[in-house]
Amino acid sequence: MDFLLLLVSTGLVTGAAYGLIAMGFALVYKATGVVNFAQGELMMLTAYVSFSVADRTGLSFLMLMALTIPISMAIGLLLERIFIRPMLGEPVFSIVMVTIGLAVILRGLVILVWGPDPAVFDVGLPDTVIRLGPVPFYPAQLVLVAAMAGVTTIAWIFLRFSRIGIAMRAVAANETAARLSGISVSRIHAFAWMFSSAIASIAGVLFAANFKLAPDMWFQGMKSFPAVILGGLDSVIGASVAGLVIGVVENLFQGYVGQGMREISGFIVIVVVLMVRPYGLFGSREIERV
Amino acid sequence: MLSLANVQVVYGRAIEAVRDVSLEVEAGAIVALLGSNGAGKSTLLKAISGVLHPEGGEIVGGTVTFLGEEIGRATPDDIVRRGLIQVPEGRALFATLTVEENLLMGGFTRRRSEVAEGLDRVYALFPRVHERRHEISGYLSGGEQQMVAIGRALMGRPRLVMLDEPSLGLAPQIIDGIFETIVTLNREEKLTVLLIEQNAQLALEVASFGYIIENGRIVLDGAAEKLRANDDVQEFYLGMSGGARKSMRDVKHYKRRKRWLS
Repeated sequence: MDFLLLLVSTGLVTGAAYGLIAMGFALVYKATGVVNFAQGELMMLTAYVSFSVADRTGLSFLMLMALTIPISMAIGLLLERIFIRPMLGEPVFSIVMVTIGLAVILRGLVILVWGPDPAVFDVGLPDTVIRLGPVPFYPAQLVLVAAMAGVTTIAWIFLRFSRIGIAMRAVAANETAARLSGISVSRIHAFAWMFSSAIASIAGVLFAANFKLAPDMWFQGMKSFPAVILGGLDSVIGASVAGLVIGVVENLFQGYVGQGMREISGFIVIVVVLMVRPYGLFGSREIERV
Repeated sequence: MLSLANVQVVYGRAIEAVRDVSLEVEAGAIVALLGSNGAGKSTLLKAISGVLHPEGGEIVGGTVTFLGEEIGRATPDDIVRRGLIQVPEGRALFATLTVEENLLMGGFTRRRSEVAEGLDRVYALFPRVHERRHEISGYLSGGEQQMVAIGRALMGRPRLVMLDEPSLGLAPQIIDGIFETIVTLNREEKLTVLLIEQNAQLALEVASFGYIIENGRIVLDGAAEKLRANDDVQEFYLGMSGGARKSMRDVKHYKRRKRWLS
């Protein structure tokens, strides 16, 4: 019983990281129709930038995040401006290829600037173990889960009620009609990149705090991909829930089946789910009036 | 109010879709732009709204002037802000959004207070839309969708509304209702309307002036009653000859050339 609890609880922690990264994917996909393959790299880059800030200033955790998030938003805006904006009106596939290129560039850039060796990222959280019932947690783990819950809630409220949030859904639904309503589509795309970059930075810093800061962190982006698909690709909330599911499933497979199963279990879940629900757990079906 | 002078639109730098089109929409008027499929009507409207670019189209010549200012190079949101708003062909609602969210997006360029006012106005105009405001707009009937599309345009506080085939795919009774609303808006709120239609009969009934576009060019223009009286328009757009409806069996297209083509 304890073993199961332990697997589930640590699974939830990893899953929270997946969920956060997946939400970044989903947000950009929802607003722009593009799968941003550089999402994992964006997470890594912003984590490294935050690492440098922490290194220089030694800020407390909350102050560090308060500084990291705006910086990341600026990075997101800048990348959108340089790499994505000029592609407006090109086929989606071309834009996806650009994000793949961007991913490779960012990987190189991180190694170039910060070196290939892993670093210890002290985000300013204590490392006293906290017990919740029978299960021990590090504060960084709890903060990660709490951050995911918080970001999910904020994202839900934002997309449901705010003008920009509704506009994002409008652009996703019909881009030309959005233009005709006076919505600046390129500005909405920029917003999506900005917010997705902010989410990436939260994921990146907390992932680094829980695991490690290394130039192979981008791979978490790929590992979050099952969560994105499972959630339904265009569902931001679905992505976060699916992240948790994938995290727990991975841990259970590893615990009860074997080490090698961990890496592929997420993809097994996708295959099974897509056979039953091709639009993911929360993804939107095509609306068709008969 | 809106005037086009020698506008030329080219797709993909190669295909000319609209050629030397000049037209004038006076403030307070309903002007009809008639033409068959593929004549270039929708392209022209897209050009005026500034949304050709993503489709690879471009205005390569001529000027588009609205309220005395050149808008040929303006961005779509700028054009909406100036009060020139289009109701696109086939409604083009945000299908996954609720009716009210659609309307809110129509007021995207407007202040919060103006949006609240606009909602009241649209709901007063279309009680049916008010009833269904929380429903997903994609599931509404065609007529209801058209009401939402018009309501969405009104939310942007237009001075001139361009309607792209509001009758498309709707039942005659519904069409009558929609056209009644258009006339009411024109009379009571002094809304200027540029109406694009394939249904010439209907359009020339409500419009005061009309243009006929074929193969990307304006081939005929004139006051609506004059157009209705024109033999060519009667034969090719109103389906009449000599005042009486004729059987399709007797139609021999090669016998009669359209005069404007010679």
